[in-house]
Amino acid sequence: MLMGPSGGGKTTLLRQLKRELTPVGTGSGIVRYAGLTLAGLPAERAAAEIGMVFQNPDAQIVMDTVWHELAFGMENLGYPPQVMRSRLAEMAGLFGLEPLLYKPVHELSGGQKQLLNLASVLLLQPKLLLLDEPTSQLDPVAAREFIQTLHRLNEEMSMTIIISEHRLEEVLPLADRVLLIENGVLKAACPPRELVSRAGEEQALAVQAYMPTAARLYLELPAQENSLSRPGFIPLTVREGRRWLHDYAAAASLGLPGSGVAGPACIPAAALVPGDDSEIMHPHKPDKKLPLLSAKEVTFRYEKEGREVLRKLNLTLYQGELLAVLGGNGAGKSTLLHVLSRMVKPQRGKVVAAPGITAGFLAQNPLLYFSYDTAREELQHMAAAARLAPDEAGREISRLAEVFELGQVLENHPHDLSGGQQQKLALAMVMLLKPAVLLLDEPTKGLDPAAKVRFAGLLALLRSQGMSIAVVTHDVEFAARYASRCALLFDGSITAEGSPEAFFSSNYFYTTAVNRMVRDLLPAALTIEDVMTAWHVYASR
Amino acid sequence: MSSGFRAMHPAVALLYYAGLLLFAALLMHPLFLITELVGVMLLLLLQGQGKQLLRGLPFYLLMAGSVALLNPLFSHRGAHILFYLWDQPVTLEAVLYGLIMMLVLLTIFMVFLSYNYTVTTDKFMYAFAAAAPKTALLTLMAIRFIPLFQRRLHEITMIQRFRGIDVSKGSLRKRMRDGMTLMKVLLTWSLEEALQTGDSMKARGYGIRRRTTYSTFVLDRLDTTALLLLVISGLIPLILWMLGYGTFEIYPRMRPLVFGGGEALMYTSFCLFVLIPAGLEGKEIWLWRSSRRKAYPSATPELNGTRSMSSPSQ
Repeated sequence: MLMGPSGGGKTTLLRQLKRELTPVGTGSGIVRYAGLTLAGLPAERAAAEIGMVFQNPDAQIVMDTVWHELAFGMENLGYPPQVMRSRLAEMAGLFGLEPLLYKPVHELSGGQKQLLNLASVLLLQPKLLLLDEPTSQLDPVAAREFIQTLHRLNEEMSMTIIISEHRLEEVLPLADRVLLIENGVLKAACPPRELVSRAGEEQALAVQAYMPTAARLYLELPAQENSLSRPGFIPLTVREGRRWLHDYAAAASLGLPGSGVAGPACIPAAALVPGDDSEIMHPHKPDKKLPLLSAKEVTFRYEKEGREVLRKLNLTLYQGELLAVLGGNGAGKSTLLHVLSRMVKPQRGKVVAAPGITAGFLAQNPLLYFSYDTAREELQHMAAAARLAPDEAGREISRLAEVFELGQVLENHPHDLSGGQQQKLALAMVMLLKPAVLLLDEPTKGLDPAAKVRFAGLLALLRSQGMSIAVVTHDVEFAARYASRCALLFDGSITAEGSPEAFFSSNYFYTTAVNRMVRDLLPAALTIEDVMTAWHVYASR
Repeated sequence: MSSGFRAMHPAVALLYYAGLLLFAALLMHPLFLITELVGVMLLLLLQGQGKQLLRGLPFYLLMAGSVALLNPLFSHRGAHILFYLWDQPVTLEAVLYGLIMMLVLLTIFMVFLSYNYTVTTDKFMYAFAAAAPKTALLTLMAIRFIPLFQRRLHEITMIQRFRGIDVSKGSLRKRMRDGMTLMKVLLTWSLEEALQTGDSMKARGYGIRRRTTYSTFVLDRLDTTALLLLVISGLIPLILWMLGYGTFEIYPRMRPLVFGGGEALMYTSFCLFVLIPAGLEGKEIWLWRSSRRKAYPSATPELNGTRSMSSPSQ
């Protein structure tokens, strides 16, 4: 497994391993595959035995139907029809693609598309599989399924897999070796548990952001002077973390003076003071809540005969809050934002905005916003569209460029920016409209952990200026950490809402990894910070 | 629904429709044309396309009928003058020729209606790929892009409206400019993705060697039989036509229709050619009916009275 911040050279390294995709440039050193240099490998072996799956599920599909896409690679290598037929039958069975075989590709969900991509590479029977952030565009359920499939391939066929990933919670425990790459330099190459213990020793915060929750919690809590802190015991999964925590709590209640009651129940849940250690996490709520934007019994469907995507939905967005709307795939989360931003008109019900309020909408794909040659031009045209006077526009643009850290790249072509920068540029463009309400569609998709933290900081800044933000997301950890209110969209309407603590602690599965680990001890703890606060309160008694 | 003639190998269907078109163009003989027309309509009805046929019929009749009407008005060739219209002679030959052209047109319309139903895109592409693999691949990729671009353009339109780019508002000049902007966004985005598509193609060995084609169609015994029958029954009328049988000469002077032994053989064979698919469809329908009417004889003897598997035994 490869990990490290975006732009650190993970993709470049992976591409060096796949001969057909080696980027143009100057290079030195040699890559050997099974004893041969990569350049000396016959073309057919290079194509078949080294398979690669990319980030964007849509862009790597070539054909229009599923069976044709599966056959594409085999057709290229000129396999006889009989071989193709039996291989395809086998792979379709393995991946459960049989019912989809004759479907056009665009009817597939993102997760299905990525599985299709994997299957079509596997049909060439590769010995080495390279994956470049394959799950970054998928929702958590689809991502987990994809990673499970990879795990199965690795376990059952002993296929060598090299994967670069940001979704560490699931992948890291499965990895045999972890390579940490930063700025093109290999920082570490060791088994995951060793990496965790090393990160603990060095107190390297940057590395810690890449650890799964259980490992981070292990590092945060003060080490105990017994067998529990052996490196072999470092927990990586929720299950391991939970077991370890129970032992830890039991040991702590015995070892610490002043705690009369044995057992884990002695850490009172009431002692949790949610997030008083950081302004980012839960800024003080305004006393009187001013509703800015509300949907009243909104019903929406895309086609006359179609399914009702939203059904009598009621939702109100108040001033200065960060509302996170969660929900499964196809639950209508994006549609809800489209309705709220009045891009589409609901069939029944209405969307009411406070007078003089505009809503800004940031779509999932920032490329939708760009149509000029430099980032500065984009902003200037947007300012003109927002009817700002030229000097005011100039001031506003330089202010936004500073806030969004875009000063360096203003003269670049928008398509040349990194994913995170593109998103910021699009957000800056939306901000020029001076919206009082910001509607964001999956803003954390594909961001690395550090970028997520920076993005959250940005949102907190906007909120402190009195803006209210609604985020539609799959990212439970993000919602738990930074939202002031959470809502669950299911079956076309909001079925549950409340503060993150109340919302997530009542859920069994749809909650953060920390909560799943510590729910017996601290039912209301959602983040590592929550646990640490509770620990400090407990330890100081 | 995919059964009968539609479920057969594309080669059978393509041969059949090519033959029908050829005969419609060559045999200007009313008997043959009417037979072909009736045969194709029968096939359409058996394929459950009656509704489609009815919906299109007024249009087809209008088109074909106007040919029948206009031909005598514009063409004055022929020896048998029926009457004068606005000092222009209307000849029997021109009227007959018009009627035959009407039949030809109607037949071609019907053939295409049936063709559209039977030969789907992927069947056509399969047949096409054998002839021109590169072009076929390109066409298939392009086919995928049409719905993809539509969806993307919709998204882009929605988002760009925020910055005042809207093709439904403003002067014509502005609308056209906005339309171009939308296209530009679509193209830059799509080209960006096309790079990745190219990578993905290269990664899977595109262009290393000559491609083979995976096909979901297998030529089975019924297909080969049908192919053979079609070829034989199609060749007989074709050869006889070349030898001069079954021709109906109108211009410059109408000759009487002859129907001798050669024509009889030709017609029988032609009928067989036209009716093979309809026969296959009919057989399919009959098979279903009969299979539903009588259940397969069971090996276990039937007991008296009704028994139910789910009734609890006491």
